[in-house]
Amino acid sequence: MNWFLNMLRTSIGKKLLMALTGLFFSIFLVIHLLGNLTLYGGKDLFLSYVDHLHALGPLIHVAEIGLLTFAAIHVSTGLFLFLQNLQARPIRYTVDKRGGGRTIGSATMPYTGVLIIIFVAIHLSNFHFIDHSRQTVFQAIDATFHMVPYIFFYIAAVIIVAIHVSHGFWSLFQTLGANHPKYMPAIKGIGFIFSLLVAVGFGFIPVYVSFIM
Amino acid sequence: MNPDVKMHTKLDAKVPAGSLAEKWDRHRFNLKLVNPANKKKFEIIVVGTGLAGASAAATFAELGYHVKNFCIQDSPRRAHSIAAQGGINAAKNYSNDGDSVWRLFYDTIKGGDFRAREANVYRLAQLSCNIIDHCVAQGIPFARDYGGFLDNRSFGGAQVSRTFYAKGQTGQQLLLGAYSSLMRQVSTGMVKLFPRREMMDLVVVDGKARGIVVRNLITGELETYTAHAVVLATGGYGNVFNLSTNAMASNVTAAFRAYKKGAYFANPCYTQIHPTCIPVHGTFQSKLTLMSESLRNDGRVWVPKKPRDKRRPGDIPESERDYYLENKYPSFGNLVPRDVASRNAKEQCDLEKGVGETGLAVYLDFADAIKRDGENAIAGKYGNLFQMYEKITGDNPYKTPMMIYPAVHYTMGGLWVDYNLMSTIPGLFVLGEANFSDHGANRLGASALMQGLADGYFVIPYTIGGYLAQTSFSEINVPDSKEFKQGIQNVQQRIDKLLSVNGRRTVTEFHRELGLILWEYCGMSRNEEGLLKAREMVSNLRHEFWKDVYVPGTGKDLNQSLEKAGRVADFLEFGELMILDALARKESCGCHFNTAFQTEENEARRDDQNFCHVACWEYNGDDQVPNFHKESLTFENVELSQRSYK
Amino acid sequence: MISKTINLTLKVWRQNRGEKKGRLETYSAKNISVDMSFLEMLDVVNEELTKNKKETIAFDHDCREGICGMCGAVVNGRPHGHEKETTLCQLHMRHFSDGDIIVIEPWRARAFPLIKDLVVDRSALDNIIQAGGFISVNAGGAPDANALPISKEIAEAAFNAAACIGCGACVAACPNASAMLFVSAKVSQFALLPQGRPEAARRARTMVRMMDQCGFGNCSNETECEAECPKGISISNIARLNREFLKAEFS
Repeated sequence: MNWFLNMLRTSIGKKLLMALTGLFFSIFLVIHLLGNLTLYGGKDLFLSYVDHLHALGPLIHVAEIGLLTFAAIHVSTGLFLFLQNLQARPIRYTVDKRGGGRTIGSATMPYTGVLIIIFVAIHLSNFHFIDHSRQTVFQAIDATFHMVPYIFFYIAAVIIVAIHVSHGFWSLFQTLGANHPKYMPAIKGIGFIFSLLVAVGFGFIPVYVSFIM
Repeated sequence: MNPDVKMHTKLDAKVPAGSLAEKWDRHRFNLKLVNPANKKKFEIIVVGTGLAGASAAATFAELGYHVKNFCIQDSPRRAHSIAAQGGINAAKNYSNDGDSVWRLFYDTIKGGDFRAREANVYRLAQLSCNIIDHCVAQGIPFARDYGGFLDNRSFGGAQVSRTFYAKGQTGQQLLLGAYSSLMRQVSTGMVKLFPRREMMDLVVVDGKARGIVVRNLITGELETYTAHAVVLATGGYGNVFNLSTNAMASNVTAAFRAYKKGAYFANPCYTQIHPTCIPVHGTFQSKLTLMSESLRNDGRVWVPKKPRDKRRPGDIPESERDYYLENKYPSFGNLVPRDVASRNAKEQCDLEKGVGETGLAVYLDFADAIKRDGENAIAGKYGNLFQMYEKITGDNPYKTPMMIYPAVHYTMGGLWVDYNLMSTIPGLFVLGEANFSDHGANRLGASALMQGLADGYFVIPYTIGGYLAQTSFSEINVPDSKEFKQGIQNVQQRIDKLLSVNGRRTVTEFHRELGLILWEYCGMSRNEEGLLKAREMVSNLRHEFWKDVYVPGTGKDLNQSLEKAGRVADFLEFGELMILDALARKESCGCHFNTAFQTEENEARRDDQNFCHVACWEYNGDDQVPNFHKESLTFENVELSQRSYK
Repeated sequence: MISKTINLTLKVWRQNRGEKKGRLETYSAKNISVDMSFLEMLDVVNEELTKNKKETIAFDHDCREGICGMCGAVVNGRPHGHEKETTLCQLHMRHFSDGDIIVIEPWRARAFPLIKDLVVDRSALDNIIQAGGFISVNAGGAPDANALPISKEIAEAAFNAAACIGCGACVAACPNASAMLFVSAKVSQFALLPQGRPEAARRARTMVRMMDQCGFGNCSNETECEAECPKGISISNIARLNREFLKAEFS
């Protein structure tokens, strides 16, 4: 076990943690999105999805604990790396221009990360930590998405998630060592489409719920 | 011989007996070995981390010696060997085209115009094969063919393909190989590295080289280091011309300090001038960039027939162009050897037929080649060179002819060494371009890398053992040693003097002026009248330097102006030595072309009766004419011939 | 035909040895021929300073043909200036316009302590190579060079990685001052070649740890290094380093 901790202490070890937890969240996003897509099928379809999910019983708690743990790792490692990277250049440049490598996604990772934490907290308090005996999840969604400011907030939040993913997705493959001239363009393409799907797939839900349904 | 030069002893090169092919083997057997357990008791100083220095330092450490390795740059990887482009020769005969150790030996001797030592050159050809084996094992990514085997190309007019290469960056890859071996030894603690140190003096104790004085280029402190032997691998002196293809920091100081301590300087007048360089653009030009001479395979060299013709090349009709190389040398045309091409380019420019803004360039035109083979074929062959040219000049050579001009590239002269690579000071060994040994009066393409690595990996590791095993050494306690104290004192005085002149002219101005004098009178063609004039001019310039130079800053700091001042001060003295040597060699040979000695074909005419020797100069005090010594060259295995390119 | 000249205003970082803080000082560079290289332009400014009996601007340089890796400064926020795949010594003044203001700063990274003005200490890069950037072979013991065929593609990929000149622009360009591109280039060169395989695992582990120890930042795949590298070293080498490192750790 010693070797493992020793490995995690290296820069690449820490990046590995970011990549693996990031991969996990990417998968989570896919599942979450697939689940939420049932909303487009109407209230009944969505509620049956919710029921199926809750029927998983203890498994759902395992998943929740898993998500929480990974979130803790992702956030704390990210924070640690961020601080370490700040220290690596104690005196900044007076003029600092990009050479064309950085993207909005890559340049803002720590900041979009923090915003996502805030969003997730609000998101959970809106839909997760509510008294489920008094209202169904659908009712909660319906109520929340009829507040216009919240719609804007939600759409902005999923765009931020998408920006985070736009760098995170291909980056995790790079960190895991999967960069090949033949396949990297495909990975980058998938990453781009994935972040687009996240933005559109999640972002359209409040519009659909409040204006179309 | 000049009347004021005193002739002295003949030098013994200690060439072992026996047939040429057996000499090195036999010598290695006869050399005393250092007991493996005793090796760790010996310390060796290596100055320089180029191909010769880094390979020697790494190999000493592999054998078990303790090494102190010095370089002026911030890292050993920056030594100027890194800039060599073309390739490295080896008599592997992988191409099955008739190459052999003997052929490489013969080509090198002949290429050097029969002014190199047979035994050394043969050993070099023998060791060439070991170098390639070792470099491949080090992980140097040489070019390969589709079968996965090493690719060879023909280079510098050789009739066989024996040149190994890594794109146009062979020197870089070979140096990084030697550097990686060196770094491995640094990690084991066998080599201690001293970057950003400049050797300021050699310390000789009891007649043996026992240490050096260096200046720490960051703090300005003078530091002393002791050892049982000192190895100089400090490169050539091409920057005496100010403009050359050498790196900015390349200098003669270490070698010149050793000369002043008694090491003989051999053949300083042999300097190679490369015909295909990017021309000078103005007064503030700092260095010249070489382009592969392979360009002459397809490019046609021309100038306008009319002097001072300032029309654009495209506006000059065919009938008003002078393809002077093709006209003068109908059978070789544009492919005449380096020195012939260089001399002719300068001649045209002296006739005011030079082109470009400065009038110091000739055209190298690819229009016909592009018409014949298509732009793609030409791009395939020279794409990267055309790109480099465009980057530097802003001109597109596919559309307008390239402009080229000769530039100083390599110096064959250097400190005299015997077969063991030891100078005339016991315990002082000299490797690579810094010594004079293997290239005679002219170096063939792809041979410099070969010599540096042969010296460092495969010659000095043996021969230094012979010296260490047979010599008794006294203990040196630096604080008590009068030689070390004296060394520090001399260096300090010199630095103080440079800083205290407080004149009006900058070091760069003096350097530029020195370069122009030497380029004009001691460059690719010389004559007695010009040399005598130059000797006086250089002498005057030197005196003016010490009266009127201004060096800003202090001695106790990183002071690049001071560094340069010290180097230029040595170049000023060294320039005179070059001229003296050129005056004394009353013949033409290889790169030393005295216009009074030429064949009807304008070829160098040797005088094998009187000048088949190495000219060696012994320091005889400041402002004194140095003593002359000679090592006679005897050729037992090859017949001396006259080259002809008509 | 006189070549075009331009006038420039330079703001150059000046900091004496041992001084805690530096500052940008303003100089004017007059009548600069557009054919000059950036370093020759600095030479002109230094000549002028010398003539006025002032101390010259210290900057590292040597070969001036883009191969030794000694030169480098951040010019208007870009390491080695704004031209692609160009070292500072090969950056020519024709890429600037009359009246430009040029800000020149040293490489900035904790692992590259400043020595003076634009000169920094890059010995950390040597330390990383010492940790494992070599193949352990002694002179004299090698088999015939052609005993081991290596495919042309592999040899070329190794060459492309080996083209690194160790200038440190990747570190200067990286928002995190990470040296991953430098380390990955050396690890890749040897990992690709069969001669380098026996030590590949050890090499990846020791070089990465030395890199961390030297105080460089962490790679966050910003790819600024690749964009600014004067030799066009690809970040696919970084992926290979990650692969080699993880493989070494998990086996």
